Amino acid sequence: MSPAIAVEQLLNTAALSALLFLVSVGLSLVFGILRVVNFAHGMFYMLGAYIGFSIVSRSGSFWLALALAPPLVGLIGAALESTTLRFIYRRPPIYQVLLTFGLSLILEEAVRIVWGATAQAVDPPAWLAGSVTLGATVYPTYRLFLITVGAVVGGGLWLFLKTTRAGLVIRAVAQNGEMAGCLGTDVRRVRTAVFGLACALAGLGGVVAAPMLTAYLGMGIGVIVEAFVVVVIGGLGSIGGSIVGSLIVGAAQTWGGFFISEVAMAIMYAVMAAVLIFRPWGLFGDEE
Amino acid sequence: MNVTRRDFTKGALALGTGLTLGFPAVLRRAYAADPIKIGVPAVLSGGAAQYGLQAKRACEMFAKDIQAKGGVLGRPVEFIFEDTTGDPATAVRKAQKLVEKDGVKFLTGIVLSSEALAVSAKCPEWKVLFMSSFTGVGAFTAAKFNRYSFRPNTSGPMGARTVSLYMAESPMKRFYGVGSDYAWGRDSIGSFDRQMTAVKKEVVGKDFPPIGTKDFGSYIAKVKQSKAEACFTVLLGQDASIFFKQAEQFGLNKEVKLVTEIVELANLKAAGDAMLGVIGGSRYPFTLDTPKNRDWVKRFYDMHNVWPDMFDGETYQATEWLAQAITAAGSDDVEKVIAALEDSTYEAPEGKRTMRKCDHQAVKASWMVEAVKDPKYPHLIPKILATYPGDRVTPKCLTEEFA
Repeated sequence: MSPAIAVEQLLNTAALSALLFLVSVGLSLVFGILRVVNFAHGMFYMLGAYIGFSIVSRSGSFWLALALAPPLVGLIGAALESTTLRFIYRRPPIYQVLLTFGLSLILEEAVRIVWGATAQAVDPPAWLAGSVTLGATVYPTYRLFLITVGAVVGGGLWLFLKTTRAGLVIRAVAQNGEMAGCLGTDVRRVRTAVFGLACALAGLGGVVAAPMLTAYLGMGIGVIVEAFVVVVIGGLGSIGGSIVGSLIVGAAQTWGGFFISEVAMAIMYAVMAAVLIFRPWGLFGDEE
Repeated sequence: MNVTRRDFTKGALALGTGLTLGFPAVLRRAYAADPIKIGVPAVLSGGAAQYGLQAKRACEMFAKDIQAKGGVLGRPVEFIFEDTTGDPATAVRKAQKLVEKDGVKFLTGIVLSSEALAVSAKCPEWKVLFMSSFTGVGAFTAAKFNRYSFRPNTSGPMGARTVSLYMAESPMKRFYGVGSDYAWGRDSIGSFDRQMTAVKKEVVGKDFPPIGTKDFGSYIAKVKQSKAEACFTVLLGQDASIFFKQAEQFGLNKEVKLVTEIVELANLKAAGDAMLGVIGGSRYPFTLDTPKNRDWVKRFYDMHNVWPDMFDGETYQATEWLAQAITAAGSDDVEKVIAALEDSTYEAPEGKRTMRKCDHQAVKASWMVEAVKDPKYPHLIPKILATYPGDRVTPKCLTEEFA
């Protein structure tokens, strides 16, 4: 393998991991704080991509889509949480799984009805559309942008949770919701806000994914499977775990695809199986 | 409170299930006279839904056209659509429902080769005629042939043959193959490999990414590393448009010539200018310049407000040929229609096609096209580079090999 192609593959790993991180971190947060396995999470990623597509095709501005689509998806998510999930937190987990699974079917059909069944191309801003020359290799500028977005969101989220008061409250609810409630935190609001935030992050993932992968039906289902693998490897409820899990899954797919493409997908699941056997709570999760 | 919660969950589930399963009923049209029913178990959701959409558009247009002419044998033609989701087991179940519950004697519009083989294997038992319009896999008219199935359309080996004939004449010698990991992708890349070897050219590497691959970065890196002169792709639906977009971003289109088995409008629309200059085969290019085709394309555009894609054409032609055979048989009796189809000729937009009796494969022309810009259209269009007559691109009877 030439050095140029090795560099290209390293960057590919980082770009794919960034995308996986944006989706899986929300899944992880929702589980950590709401104790809900959200099967509909991937649909918010798809919704982000399609809303982004609509904004870009109407206004011509990718940046407007980047600014508007994630909060919009977040609001939709928060609205769904406060009208459905909120009422069944105390029920056995199977109820939540069924509900979020049902929501994912409804959202998928809604997207089909609104945007149709064909894939939609989204144009990135002109200066991100081309390629840059890095030494001996040509690399798509847009993927470098993805890596940046992933890094900024990861760092920002960590700072938010560790240094702000809102972050403190969220961590308190995650650790012991009932106790936090007794101390005067409106746990219901925190849950809705976190669910909305997680959906907004998935929506952001969708907006930035669309120029690379197009917006298409089924992208939600595809990504949720990978995101589950990421959080199982990294540990549910841990941001650090999401980062490491995303990097592992990203690397398994990228390098697996290069060296042994026939079994690239299996590598990801093999890693997951190994984690489940030797460290069932994930690399960064808490043993419960 | 408990009751409310439970009711809500049930309601949400019922709503979800209803949306998924209930919609074929909406598509049904009630005709007063005893109609000739044709079942269309197509992929209407998921990554290959762009194909099911074409089957549906073409069938709707044909139903309207034939109705205006007084129907077939004086009876209207009714198409009944079902969503197979791209899963062979579901396709068989939906086809069985069409046969047993709706009483269809004819099937068409099955999208994936895997689904078509599964359904086709059941047709002798059901005594139902399957007129394919998508099915690419070579075995359909070779090892897996049965007399209840017909292929009026171009097959995968025929598409690979078209590209191979073109490439044999080109100065390029080293190729890389990238095909979707299922029957069609593997068949066509294999066929291309054999034909290139036969003319002393070389396929230096092959890859089979799974259906639904989103990131082709690793595959593109391998193509670059191989120093091939051209990359031949056989990718399903959206996978193709994603591949071409990424190939452009990695500058692959500047290093190697991109060649594909089928140049489709759906992908030209989705990938946009990234596909400019891509060459490849076409089973039916809507830019075909004949009076019959110009008229059909215009009427299609007037009805659907989009330009017809490859399988819009192939499916319409399949249904028209089937209707012609029913008329010739003077009955919708399946055995009589089979006899009427065998060795029949059909006036296609490009000229005559014949249906071989020996393997039920149509001898039909195939095209090599290039994706070009034309200010008259909102997207890239296929410009015809070469036309290969049916006798050069159709395999020997009951085989996937060429003379």
